[in-house]
Amino acid sequence: MKKIKSAAALVALALAAASPAKAQVNVCIWGTITGPDALVNGMSYGLRDYLEFLNQTQGGIAGSKVNALLLDGRYKLDEELKIYRRCADEEKAVVVNGWSTGSVQALRDQINTDGVPFMTQSFASEVLDPKKYPYIFMAGPTYEQQMTIAFRDLAAKGGKKVLIMAPDNEYGRGPVNVVRQSGIIQKLGLDLVDTIEFRYDAQDLTPQMLRVKSRNPDMVYIQASAPQAIAILRDAAKVGLPAKLFVGNLYTITPTIPEQLGAAAEGFRAIQAYEPYGAEIPAMKQIEQFAAKATVEKKDIYFMKGWMEGIAISAAIENAIKKNGGHPPSDIKQFRQSVREQMEALTNLDDGGITPPLNFANHQGSIQARIAEIKDGKYVPTGEWINAS
Amino acid sequence: MSTRHIAIAIGVAVVMAVLAVVLGRYGAYLVNAVAIAAIGALSLNLLIGYCGQISFAQGALLGVGAYTAGNLGNAGLDGAVAILGAGVLGALVSALIGLPAMRLRGLYFAIATLAAQAILEYLFKILDPLTNGVSGLVIKPPSIFGIPMTSDESLVLPSLVLLVIAWLVVSRLLRTDLGRAFLVVRESEIVAKGMGIDVGHTKLWAFLIGGFIAGMAGALIGFANRLASPEAFTLDLSADYIAMIIIGGLGTWPGPIIGAAFVVLLPEVIQRVGEAAGISDILSALRELAFGLLIILFLIFEPRGLTALLSRIKLRRIGVVPPAGLRATGEGSQSPEGRSR
Repeated sequence: MKKIKSAAALVALALAAASPAKAQVNVCIWGTITGPDALVNGMSYGLRDYLEFLNQTQGGIAGSKVNALLLDGRYKLDEELKIYRRCADEEKAVVVNGWSTGSVQALRDQINTDGVPFMTQSFASEVLDPKKYPYIFMAGPTYEQQMTIAFRDLAAKGGKKVLIMAPDNEYGRGPVNVVRQSGIIQKLGLDLVDTIEFRYDAQDLTPQMLRVKSRNPDMVYIQASAPQAIAILRDAAKVGLPAKLFVGNLYTITPTIPEQLGAAAEGFRAIQAYEPYGAEIPAMKQIEQFAAKATVEKKDIYFMKGWMEGIAISAAIENAIKKNGGHPPSDIKQFRQSVREQMEALTNLDDGGITPPLNFANHQGSIQARIAEIKDGKYVPTGEWINAS
Repeated sequence: MSTRHIAIAIGVAVVMAVLAVVLGRYGAYLVNAVAIAAIGALSLNLLIGYCGQISFAQGALLGVGAYTAGNLGNAGLDGAVAILGAGVLGALVSALIGLPAMRLRGLYFAIATLAAQAILEYLFKILDPLTNGVSGLVIKPPSIFGIPMTSDESLVLPSLVLLVIAWLVVSRLLRTDLGRAFLVVRESEIVAKGMGIDVGHTKLWAFLIGGFIAGMAGALIGFANRLASPEAFTLDLSADYIAMIIIGGLGTWPGPIIGAAFVVLLPEVIQRVGEAAGISDILSALRELAFGLLIILFLIFEPRGLTALLSRIKLRRIGVVPPAGLRATGEGSQSPEGRSR
């Protein structure tokens, strides 16, 4: 019996050695696992988990196993630039998913030179140019488009005076400058009464809130992320400013805000470009199927964003593999080029209801969003999807 | 500067160059990062380790170098000129930062450098014509002596050449009257004055030379990153450089290079270990903790850093009991070189 077992093992080994190795597709993701933006890092996990879901349920993409490597950029520029090189060179990633606005701006020319399809978590309009930066994609409306949606809502409701708060870095100041220079605020009949900057890691914003109060705006738009929104709303309550005065970009839509602030967060509004975790949509069934076998690190809207990015990226890779006769091109440059073309060609892609159907000809997927408001501790959409164009 | 020092410096550079070639583009990027960090650490070691002037403005000084080289390079000047220009402006700004040292000492001066760091960070954000504000200055790939430096691999050679030059210059400097004056000022300004040393003048030279080297390191950072951004030259970066010279060995000859390699490569090692063990998510969170813990452990058990640790290991291996001065005592951080003088 022992001899039979040994022989069987040898045969199995021989067969394994003889069969051609399945090609592997590498996708490299860097997020901020640690660092100031860690509260909204769900999209990095969402993308990784979707690719793992494909491995579990379909054996990968078009028969090729996906190796999704998740790295921590720590929201530090030098670390992110280093990681990009590892992804593009050492890991031979066919698609790279990167984090900060600063890093994608620093890398935009390098990305062109390397010819790597790059999905950025930033929504900076400076890197959104299909002709100038043909390899850079994002998954939603730009920061400027998000601001426009909020300002249109204010104008429609008869508001006049708007104030913008933003951190004094590229993420904050960049989009604000673009919007101010575009003249959209004046076109909508609004008056920008002030722009208040603060340090990205500021812990106390009470002085800034006193300044907001003195300007008496009808809306305060926050071009920042959840940690900063928490500080703003907390200190606004100190000086008697209600949360309903504030509207945040799409990185301020996290359960942590109502959890931490309680009643002080009631009425706060944020731009919502994706259905939240737990929504009754087909994609959620896939996520539940995945969650039955694995741990979902972040059960929030950003995880949904990452899942959606996974759907788009895998669709482009699958189409590139099919176009190449059912196997990944052996030349990584050719593979990347093909994935870029297929990404751009994605039309009316169904992402399981996370967003309206995706079209990546404009490198954005969807430019629709709506405004959600915190009611009884939960974000509730206040209207239908609005096209930001 | 002995022949042994020259041989070691060139040997280290050759090993790094070979690694850059063997390990490919990513390896070359890491080697370049280590070389640049080592140059920056050499400059800070000169200031803190040899002259005793604690500075928290190293990050901003590197930024001055990066912006200067970026502007000069973008204006069409050769990369070598841009690096030299960055060195000159770095020296001038460093001397300005050092001016309070004429009147302040110790912790008070350290706080003044902290203020300088904050002021320079602010200037990087508002001097739009020179820095492009918070967006950062995009830097074109340079040509050095007419040779285009378009790839990560091509930048390794200039960085290693500058590292060897800076390393040997600092080594030679310490054998001059000025270098010896640095050491005396570090030990006691009162004694230095008693010996007829112009303390203010000596400190100013330390800032000028240290700033020149830091400016050149900053230029190399700018060329490597192709972007000079205020987010890249924060107090965090200053802290990293202080960590490098403490871990490597404050006031020691090889300390900055060993410390730079350690600090630059430690996150990489932790990441790879985490990936191999399938716990990279957990180790990512612990990375900063590990970093801080290591510094505390070094301060407690081996304040002279890795250099002294390696010396002790070497002595033990050849069966020599380290003299009291080379044992970890937790007291003082004087270098073996400092003692021998």
